[in-house]
Formats: sequence, C-alpha cells, structure tokens
Amino acid sequence: MLMQLEVFQILADPTRRRIVEALCYGEQQVGDVVEKAGVHQSGVSRHLRILYESGFVSMRPDGQRRLYALKPEPFREIDEWLGRYRRLWEARLDRFETALEKRQQQARRAKERSKKK
Amino acid sequence: MSTQMPRSDATVVIERTYRANIKDVWALWTTKEGFESWWGPEGFRADVQELDARVGGALRYEMIADSPEMIAAMKQMGQPTSHRTRSRFTEVKPHSRLVLTNVIDFLPGVAVYESNIAVDFTSAGDSVRMVVTLDAMHSDEFTKMQKEGFTSQLTKLDKRFA
Repeated sequence: MLMQLEVFQILADPTRRRIVEALCYGEQQVGDVVEKAGVHQSGVSRHLRILYESGFVSMRPDGQRRLYALKPEPFREIDEWLGRYRRLWEARLDRFETALEKRQQQARRAKERSKKK
Repeated sequence: MSTQMPRSDATVVIERTYRANIKDVWALWTTKEGFESWWGPEGFRADVQELDARVGGALRYEMIADSPEMIAAMKQMGQPTSHRTRSRFTEVKPHSRLVLTNVIDFLPGVAVYESNIAVDFTSAGDSVRMVVTLDAMHSDEFTKMQKEGFTSQLTKLDKRFA
C-alpha cells in the first residue's frame, strides 16, 4: 500500500508536479528546473530530494554538476492505475445506461396506463 | 485552490451515446433518485443527503459498502464501510453541461484540493451524446482503488504462500 499510495501523494503536491513537468524536457541541473518550474531554489532542492527518495527522479554527478532525470517506473504504475480508473468509470456508465433504460421504460408504461384510462 | 500554472493532472475522457431523451439523461445526474440509481461504484451504493443542482449547490452523499464481499474487504483493511463525500455543482447549464467539484481533504500530508468531473451533453434526434471528463489522478476513487489494489495484491500473495 505504501508504495502505491506514495506515488499518488507525491504527485498530489502542485510544486512537485511542476518539477516533474519541468523534467519532462530531459536531464538537467537544479538551476534549469528552478527556471522552468518557476519555483524558488530552496523549494526545488527540497522537492527534488523527495522525488529522488521516492524513486521518481534519478541523479547522477557530472563533474561539479548534478543532473536530474525522471525515472519511468512510477509513471508506468500510474498508467496502470489510470487504466483501472477508466474501467471503473466504464462500469459506472454501464450502470448509468441500465438506470436510463429503466427510467424510460417506466415513463413509457406510465404513458400507456394514462392512455387506457 | 488555484495555481497560475497549467495543471498537469492526468485526465480521462469517456464518451457514450444513449438512445434517450435529454431530460432523462439529465435527471440521472441532477435528482436524488436519479443519482442514487447508478452512481455506485461496484459494491457500494450512494445515499444522497443533499442534491441541489444549481451553481454553487451542494451534493452530499455517503458511499456505503453493500455487497458482503465489499463489507468484508473494508473491514479486513480496517476501513470504515461507509464514506462521506462532499461535492458541489460548479457549473450547471441545463441539458448541456455540468461540472461537479469534489473536495479531497482526507490525504494525510497533502493540502486540501479539488477534483472536477465535467459532463457535456449533446442531443441529436432521439439520441444523447454524453462526454465525461475526469481529473483522474486527484479523485476519491483513485485513492480507494490504490487501497483496493493493495488488498488484491495481498490476496494474491496469500494464495501463493498458502
């Protein structure tokens, strides 16, 4: 549960979502993320650490620089969940259809009854 | 809560076309009996306390586990068998569009935020096309499913080691 709940909670934070979006452009340094995400440096560093620790982001040193990039695994997990979410709604709209048919049948019957009278 | 940046939420769009008149389709979203007749989800029934389909109007309902399997599953997880939900209608254009905004205020360590369900209706002849657009990542169900998913995975493990 921790694993999957974490994926969700990590992305529920708007600042982290901005950082993730910024990293969609590819591997980069903190300074580039700060610029793209429009978030203060200290915030970016803190959230990057959280993203790193939770497996969303990888880091590799390159001389003096530290380069950050997105890792695919958590996003695959999200994809899977999105698929389940879609199926949940497909099932819900199947029930919608059933309820709708029932409603229309009732309306038709009510009409026929009133005609007979 | 608002942000200037475009939201990067994952969105799910589902389209359906029904042979029906728009009045009936609309009523399933905007009346207590209508809403209760289908909302669910599977294994749950919705008990509507308040439904006021006007802009700013409240939708309050309780989701109650009503299949023996679901009740057992929730108990096993130490989850309550019913769950109160707070929503409101933020857009209401009769027979054309509605937006339901759900308040997500139960995630530990995450600030309160909102998720939207937008529904667009187009009627042509004797059919109605309904397009449902969902903020999938930030919904009540998403969190629940994660819990459910965890349970089903545990069940699988149990089977493997039994």
